[in-house]
Amino acid sequence: MTLRRRSRASARLVLFLATAVAAAAAAPVSAAELSLPGRLQLEAHGFVSQGFLLTSSNNYLADSSRGSFEFSELGLNFTLQPADRLRLGVQIFSEDLGPIGNYQAKLDWYYLDYHWQDWLGVRAGRVKLPFGLYNDTSDIDAARTAVLLPQSIYPAQNRNFLLAQTGGEIYGYKSLGRAGALDYHLYGGTIFLDVNPQSPNSPFTVLDLNVPYVTGGRLLWNSPLDGLRLGGSLQFLRLDTHLQPSGTSSSVELNVPATLWVASAEYVVRDFLFAAEYSRWRVRTESNNQSVFPDSSTTSERGYALATYRVNSWLQAGGYYSLLFPNVDRRTGPGGRQHDVALTLRFDVNSYWLIKVETHYMHGTAALSPSLNGDQPLNSLKPDWALFTVKTTAYF
Amino acid sequence: MRITALILLALAVGPASAEPSRPPYILIVHPGSRPSALDRKFVADAFLRRATRWPDDSPILPVDLAPDARARARFSQDILARSVASVRSYWQQRIFSGQGLPPPELGDDEAVVSYVLNHPGAIGYVAAGTPLNGAMPVEVNWGG
Repeated sequence: MTLRRRSRASARLVLFLATAVAAAAAAPVSAAELSLPGRLQLEAHGFVSQGFLLTSSNNYLADSSRGSFEFSELGLNFTLQPADRLRLGVQIFSEDLGPIGNYQAKLDWYYLDYHWQDWLGVRAGRVKLPFGLYNDTSDIDAARTAVLLPQSIYPAQNRNFLLAQTGGEIYGYKSLGRAGALDYHLYGGTIFLDVNPQSPNSPFTVLDLNVPYVTGGRLLWNSPLDGLRLGGSLQFLRLDTHLQPSGTSSSVELNVPATLWVASAEYVVRDFLFAAEYSRWRVRTESNNQSVFPDSSTTSERGYALATYRVNSWLQAGGYYSLLFPNVDRRTGPGGRQHDVALTLRFDVNSYWLIKVETHYMHGTAALSPSLNGDQPLNSLKPDWALFTVKTTAYF
Repeated sequence: MRITALILLALAVGPASAEPSRPPYILIVHPGSRPSALDRKFVADAFLRRATRWPDDSPILPVDLAPDARARARFSQDILARSVASVRSYWQQRIFSGQGLPPPELGDDEAVVSYVLNHPGAIGYVAAGTPLNGAMPVEVNWGG
């Protein structure tokens, strides 16, 4: 066993024990509150998750074809309200999802929030990206029925790219009387990305990654019909990178501007939730060396329909159909599409501990990562496969 | 398609037809210059912390009963149009995305009355028949 594997095994054991201890010993309270000088209250919340991934063939998110426990999350957040309209918050987050995370703790988000009026507030710091219905809550296992959100629009392996940005945000909520209400966000900033270790088989080395800007917004209309939300999100970003092809000393500069949009609908009524989203992501590649990296433009198409039902206080059932075409101009072959049919059962053991069981039938290989599958072309991987996952989360 | 539409219509109409003529809870506010009636939508927005200010710009301080309280279940269905568990999911999303914190949850009706009396701007609800000790009851405009 290598040192890295041993430390991962130790971390998994710690996570498992922490989950068990938190679930068994946590008092039935919704939060921990600490009193500070000056009658200030510091509110703390946290969660610990441990999951298991198993696929019938192909490796998905981790080395899943042999079964993988590399599916863990831990988060702890603190919120302080030093003045009526002012709030500060920070979340420490650590995860392990296959090659991603490796239990390195980081500041997931932090902000200074000035809520001037309900129709206008300002946040600065590292704030979550409001994209679609669930991007800003995509890592909150306790807040949804499914283990994995529809991966066509909320891909877990792209969490670092899509979850949060460092900059500012303007937001608000405006009642329209009998016409419902508008919920809106506008943001701008950057995303700090680390260059991850690369496969030795990769034809080039990534020297740096920079995001000169990410900007966009989300507008949701809360209709007069209780629980019905309709809206859309738009995001522009650019990724700049230098790549060094294997066997050369010179590098190629690439600029990758992207435009992402999603149309969203959600209806929550009684114990039912229905949601559907449709999205297109257009990604261009602009290179200073056309012979090595010719300019290109790719548009992907994504969408899903989802339904969940709360059977009683301890059981929820849900399912969705999710569809991904990574290139709308080349939909043929297993690598040109990903159909995903998922069914989930969620058991709430008590108000601070849950267990989920989920199964997926997959047709296509577009959502798979070549690096997790021996750098084989996606079209050569098994086109029909299944995923089984179990996850338990303790939270307060 | 028609069947789906009918199911959705039935689900949408359900809560309205189940609207109680006399709810088993009373909405109360701090005794002061608050209106004697509030629109249901405004009360829902206040408890979901989408509306955080009274018309005079003072902060709204909502307070909840414990999740297993019967009055909480009826309040949640009537005013928020969703179950207590669904509201808990809503707050999990808000908490862990850094967008807000839920109202405090107090263990019994007397604690809610006491909180409302001691916090200007407070709004809460208690089981019908609970002594209000000076807390001001408020009518709900169901059309709002």
